[in-house]
Amino acid sequence: MTSSPGLLAYLLIPLFTAVAIPFAARFRTRMADVLANVTLLAGLLNLSLLLFDPANADSSFSAIPDDGFSLLMVFVIYLVGLCVTFFSTYFMEEGSGVARAPYFALIMTSVSAMCGIVTTGDFFTLYIFIEVLAVSSFALIASGERTGGLEGAIKYLLLTFPASLFILLGVAFLMLTAGTFSFEGVKTLVASGMPAGGTVFAVSLLLLGFLIKSGVVPFHAWTPDAYEGAYSPVSAFLAGIVTKIAGVYAVIKIAIILRLFDVKTCPAADILMFLGMLSIAVGAVAALRQNELKRMLAFSSISQVGYIVLAAGIGTPLAILGAIFHLVNHATFKTTLYLNSASLEKGAGTSDMTKLGGMEHSMPWTSWTSVVALMSTAGVPPLSGFWSKLLIIVALWDGGARIYAVLALLFSIVTLAYFMVMQRKVFFGKPTEASRAAREVRPAMLAPVVAMSVLIVALGVFFPYIYAYLVDTVAARIIL
Amino acid sequence: MTYHNLLFILVVLSAVAAVMARDLLLNALMLALVSVGTALLLFDFQAPWAGVFELSVCAGLITVLFVSAVSLIRREDGKVEDSRARFRAMPLVMGIAAIALWLYGIPFFEALENWSRFSDRTASLGTIIWDTRRFDLVGQVSMLAAGVLVIRSIFPRRKK
Repeated sequence: MTSSPGLLAYLLIPLFTAVAIPFAARFRTRMADVLANVTLLAGLLNLSLLLFDPANADSSFSAIPDDGFSLLMVFVIYLVGLCVTFFSTYFMEEGSGVARAPYFALIMTSVSAMCGIVTTGDFFTLYIFIEVLAVSSFALIASGERTGGLEGAIKYLLLTFPASLFILLGVAFLMLTAGTFSFEGVKTLVASGMPAGGTVFAVSLLLLGFLIKSGVVPFHAWTPDAYEGAYSPVSAFLAGIVTKIAGVYAVIKIAIILRLFDVKTCPAADILMFLGMLSIAVGAVAALRQNELKRMLAFSSISQVGYIVLAAGIGTPLAILGAIFHLVNHATFKTTLYLNSASLEKGAGTSDMTKLGGMEHSMPWTSWTSVVALMSTAGVPPLSGFWSKLLIIVALWDGGARIYAVLALLFSIVTLAYFMVMQRKVFFGKPTEASRAAREVRPAMLAPVVAMSVLIVALGVFFPYIYAYLVDTVAARIIL
Repeated sequence: MTYHNLLFILVVLSAVAAVMARDLLLNALMLALVSVGTALLLFDFQAPWAGVFELSVCAGLITVLFVSAVSLIRREDGKVEDSRARFRAMPLVMGIAAIALWLYGIPFFEALENWSRFSDRTASLGTIIWDTRRFDLVGQVSMLAAGVLVIRSIFPRRKK
């Protein structure tokens, strides 16, 4: 069962490409990245024409098929996928020792699995695609020659395995208590007013599994190790989109579809909000103490996921719109930052922040695109991150969770503080030995981050269009 | 009831042996015994679909794969030399778990049975498994593709 049959092609075509890549690469190795890039670019262009047609705003987005949430997520998956494959094409050329054909084929399999996750209409299929994504991610993290990759991959597998177990148990209990796996079936059952204790229990198990997969505190132990140990472009893929689709997306989906959070007696909503706030706080404070760039970004990612989970917990339509927009924004700024950390590693030979400084002189493009992404993460207006955080905080205030709203605002300032510290350490200040010897990476490797930075600014400047899209296609069609 | 209890004890003992054994072949065979015991329990609980899959896939196919893999490994590599001292507390932990399950597990599953009457029981499991599935088959094809690609991605590098 799929909730969005029109989007099936976006799932099947990358899968065909993944199968075709090993055969095509036998004739010429470069065919692997050509096929991956062309497939993703074609899909992205098609999606962009559909999403950003100026006529949409006048017609209340009537041309957008199905629910706008799935379509937006497929767009983000293709966008991050293309940035990572394009960057990897040139990152690899400089001798990283990664098997090219399986690497690109696995990225395409992951893209296909993520599209499956966001277009499915039932929990069983969701579970299967999440497992496909976990298996592909395991091999992707282990790519590259560093032993840290394999260690990170094993940690990822072992620590997210209990999550899969909880999801599977949740699916089994759902079958037992609700007699259906489908989102609509469960929604109808909950809405019918019959005692939903069993269904709530099953959904709570599912939520627990998805929260572990999201890396929310206290289930965050695996994220910094996996992101730090992974092959550098894979960190961007993992932090930018994979863990968000495998965990956070499902949490938002449960909040939307089941409407469990309308019922204030349901403690799941309160727990979700508490864990969200805890993640914001722990992630922000831990990020302040890191010296390794990728680890700091990993903790920042935990903190940003906290905002999304907090919004899903309050569950009002405005909060859900804020959570969805923050998910999109997180994909754009975190992909930029991780790709730039890979460039820094390549250009300066280290990502240790104590050894970097004044990178703005030797790597200006990398530095300034990072600054844009950092400011968006911290919620500086008029960048995209500002609007999503504003929506979440206003929704929390409106929904009566005023303490959470104030705390979310305060920790947003902490986020700004640690990014200011990082900017001073890495990009500005006195050049160090490593930064004097550093050289800017080639333009092809800068293209994805420049495009992402433009998008970060554009999403902020054209926020009214994005808000209208979310209201007309998400709030009107699937929330209200 | 005695038959059930004996099967439960067989499953638990085989599971413990599967974890504790030092020989990889014995690990694999004990795991197969867990699956056989579970399959027999499933048949006895009128769950033939689950029983058939457990017996054919877990006890059959996976055991064949494990035994084939173990036979490819040299005998001296098959011995696990790490300490088993940490497993000495296992009987105690299992005892506590058994008492906790006896106290809380049974009432919990009884409550679960009450919840199950709310669900629509008109469709059989067979109907649900075979007739309402379309899209997840794509997922399973993806899983096969991912499995092959993972092996291609990891093993050439390990050869070095």
